[in-house]
Amino acid sequence: MKIAWKGAATVAAIAAAAALALSGCSDPGSGGSGSGATTWPAQDTKLDGVNLTIWAAQNSNKTADSVISGFEKLTGAKVKVVTIPDPYEQGIQTKVATGDKPDLAFWQPTASELTALNATQNLQSLQGAPWVKNYTGNLGDMTGILNGTRYAALVTTPAVIGVYYNKDVLAANGITSTPKNWDEFIADAQALKAKGVDPFYEMGGDKWATQWWVQAQLADAAKAGLWDKVNSNTEKFTDPTIQGAIDNYQKLIQQGLFNSDIKTATFVDQGKALLDGKAAMVMQVNSFFGELQATANTADLNKKIGFFPISPKGNVGTFIPDQSNALVAFKTGDSKREAAARQFLSYWLGDGYNDFVKAQSTVSLIKGVDTPSDVPTALQDVAKSLDTSVGSMQALAVANPDLYLNLADMIQGTKTPVQVAQTTQDQFAQLAKAQGVKGF
Amino acid sequence: MTAQLAPLAPAPPAATRTVEKRRRTGRRQDHPAWFLVPALIVLVVFFFVPTIFNFVYAFTDWSSFHSQINFVGFDNFASLFGNGSLLSDLRITLIYAVLVAIFQNLFGLILALVLERDTRINRFARVAFFVPVVMSALAVGYIFQALLKPAGGLNQILSFVTGQHVTIAWLGSTTWTIVVVALIHAWKWMGLSMLINLAGLKTINEDILEAARLDGASWWTTFRSIRFPLLAPAVTFNVATALLGSMNGFDIVQATTAGGPGGTTELLNIFIFRTFGQGLFAQATTMSLSLFLMVTILAFPVIYFLRRRENVL
Repeated sequence: MKIAWKGAATVAAIAAAAALALSGCSDPGSGGSGSGATTWPAQDTKLDGVNLTIWAAQNSNKTADSVISGFEKLTGAKVKVVTIPDPYEQGIQTKVATGDKPDLAFWQPTASELTALNATQNLQSLQGAPWVKNYTGNLGDMTGILNGTRYAALVTTPAVIGVYYNKDVLAANGITSTPKNWDEFIADAQALKAKGVDPFYEMGGDKWATQWWVQAQLADAAKAGLWDKVNSNTEKFTDPTIQGAIDNYQKLIQQGLFNSDIKTATFVDQGKALLDGKAAMVMQVNSFFGELQATANTADLNKKIGFFPISPKGNVGTFIPDQSNALVAFKTGDSKREAAARQFLSYWLGDGYNDFVKAQSTVSLIKGVDTPSDVPTALQDVAKSLDTSVGSMQALAVANPDLYLNLADMIQGTKTPVQVAQTTQDQFAQLAKAQGVKGF
Repeated sequence: MTAQLAPLAPAPPAATRTVEKRRRTGRRQDHPAWFLVPALIVLVVFFFVPTIFNFVYAFTDWSSFHSQINFVGFDNFASLFGNGSLLSDLRITLIYAVLVAIFQNLFGLILALVLERDTRINRFARVAFFVPVVMSALAVGYIFQALLKPAGGLNQILSFVTGQHVTIAWLGSTTWTIVVVALIHAWKWMGLSMLINLAGLKTINEDILEAARLDGASWWTTFRSIRFPLLAPAVTFNVATALLGSMNGFDIVQATTAGGPGGTTELLNIFIFRTFGQGLFAQATTMSLSLFLMVTILAFPVIYFLRRRENVL
C-alpha cells in the first residue's frame, strides 16, 4: 500500500511538473492589447478615477513631479511614480519578462534598448503623436524610433559624449581656444602634462564611463555608417576601426595622460577632480554635469566649466540618449489607461512643458518654449552640439554589449585590447543572434 | 537563477543508524502518508518545477527580444563553452568556494573552542557572533564596501593609528580581492559554523575527556586526537554547506565588488545576472544549469570523503 502510494505520488509529481514545464513554455511577458489606429485624446480630457503608474530610476523619479501635479489638477487622474532600483534596465526587463508592466516608464529611446523591451509586443505605438512636429532641430527623427515606428517620447535633450574642461586650468596653462580635432586635443593634453597637470581624469573604479573614449574616437566613422556595417556583421569590433580606437585609448593611458589612480577612481572623484582643477578635462556625458551641479551652483559652474564635442577629424559630438531623456507607454490591455498614458505624454510635451523646463531647469526641446535662463552654459552648449552630432553605439547598433566593462578590465590589466574587442564582438553577436538579426 | 540550492548535508550518523535499525524492524505506522502532501506541494512548486524549467529553458532561445520560445538543441551550450568567460567564471567560483569553506570553518572552530564554556560572557559573545548570520547579505556587502574603499572607515582608522594618510584600495587588487570577499563571506557565516561546532563539542562524552586528562594528555593532544575526530559530523555539515553554499554566492560579492576589479571576482552567478539583464534569458539559464551540475558533481565526492571520516565514531 505504502509503496504503491509512493510510486503513484512520484508519477503524479513528475506528471504535474512536466505539464507545468510544457504549458509554461510560452513567454509570460507576451500578450497585451491588439494594435489599432492610435488615437490622441485632448490634453484636458477628464480622467477621474483613472490611476497611472510610472516606473522611474533613482535619478529620474523626481523628473516628472511638476508634470504630474499639473496633469492631476487638469484631469482628475492619479499618477504614481514607482522607483525601480538600479541596475534599472535589468530590473525593468526582468519585470516585463514576467508580465509585470506599468503604464509608462522612463526608458532609453534607442533602437537597441527598445528591442530589449520587445517594443512591438509590449509598447504602445506613438505614431502621429501631436508633439512630434514641435520638436526643435532634428530631435524628432533622431531617436525613439524602431523599424519606422515611434515608441518613445523624448522629454529632455539627449546626452552627448564630449569633453568637460576646467576653464581656469586651461587658461592658466596657456590654452586659449578649445581643440578643433583629435590631434589638437592630444597636443593640448601633452602640453598640460609637461606642465605637471593631469590632462584627463577617468573613473576606472566605477567603470561605465570608460566607453566614452572609444565612442568619441568613432564619431566620424559612425557618420560614415560604421554601426550599419556592424549591424549587418560586415564589420566587427575586432576590425581596425574599433580595435584601433581601443588600442589608442590604452596607449593614452600608458602615456600617463590620465590620473594615476585610474583603476580605483569613482564618478564622484571625477567630478571633484575637475571642479578642484586637479585634472583639466573629462570625457563624459550629461549626467556628469548633474554630479557637478550637486556640489556647485550655476554661477560657479558657468565661470569654471566648459564643454566641447570632439571627434578624430573635428568637433562631432556623439549623442547617447539615456533613460532619463524619454518615456515609453506600455500595452497594458486596459484601453482606458492606455489612452490616458498617451494623454499624459501629450500634456507633458504640450501645455505642461513650460512648467517642466522651469521646474527642472533644463534645455527646452519644444518650439515656442524657451530654455530657462538659469540653465548652465555648458548644458546649453551640449544641446547646441546635438544638431551636428552622430549616434552612439547605444543609439545606432542593434545591441548594446558590455564594452565599458571590458574596457574597465583593460584598465585593470586583466584584458588586452584584443581581448576587449573579441569579448565585445562575441557578446554583440550573441545578442544580435538572439534578436534574429540577419547575418548572425 | 536562484532555483538551485546547495544539496542538504546528510543527517548526523546517529540518526542514520536509528533509521537503519527501524528499517530492519519494519516501519512504524504512526502517521498516514498524506501528511506529506503539504510539504511535498511546497517542494514541487518551489524546487522541482524551477529545477525542471532550468533544464528545459537551457535548450531554448528564450529571450526578451521575441515572445515565442523555440527549442534550439545544444546551441547555447556550444556557444557558452566556445567562449572563455563561462569556464573562467566557473574557476573563480570554485576558488571562492574553497576559500570560503576554509575561512568559515577555521573561524567557526576557533570561536567554538574559545566560547565553549557556558559563562555569561560567552553566551553573550555567541549571540554577538551569530548576529551577522541573520543579517541581510546585501547589507553586509555594502557595509564592507564602505569600510574598505580608499576613503573608507578602515583606512581612516589606520591613518589615525599610524599617523599617516593611508589610502589602500582593499578591493582594488586583481589578485587579492577574491580573498577579501571570501573573508567577508566567511565572517558573515562563521557564527553558524560556531553554533554547529559548539553543539558537536557538547555531544562528546565527558568520560572520554576525563580519561584523557587522567592519562596526562595536554589540551592540544586531547583536541587533536579526541575532540577533533569526534567533531566529524559537525565538520561534515559545516564544510559541505560552506563549500556548496558559497558556490551559489552572489549577494555579498555583487554588493562589494560587482565582479571587479577586472572581472577577477566575477562569480558565475554575477555573470548569469549580467546575461539575464541583457535579455538573454536562455543563455543565463544554461549557465545556471552548468552551475547546478557542477555543484552536484562536486557534492558527491566531498560528502563521501567527509562521511568516511565519521567512521571512527
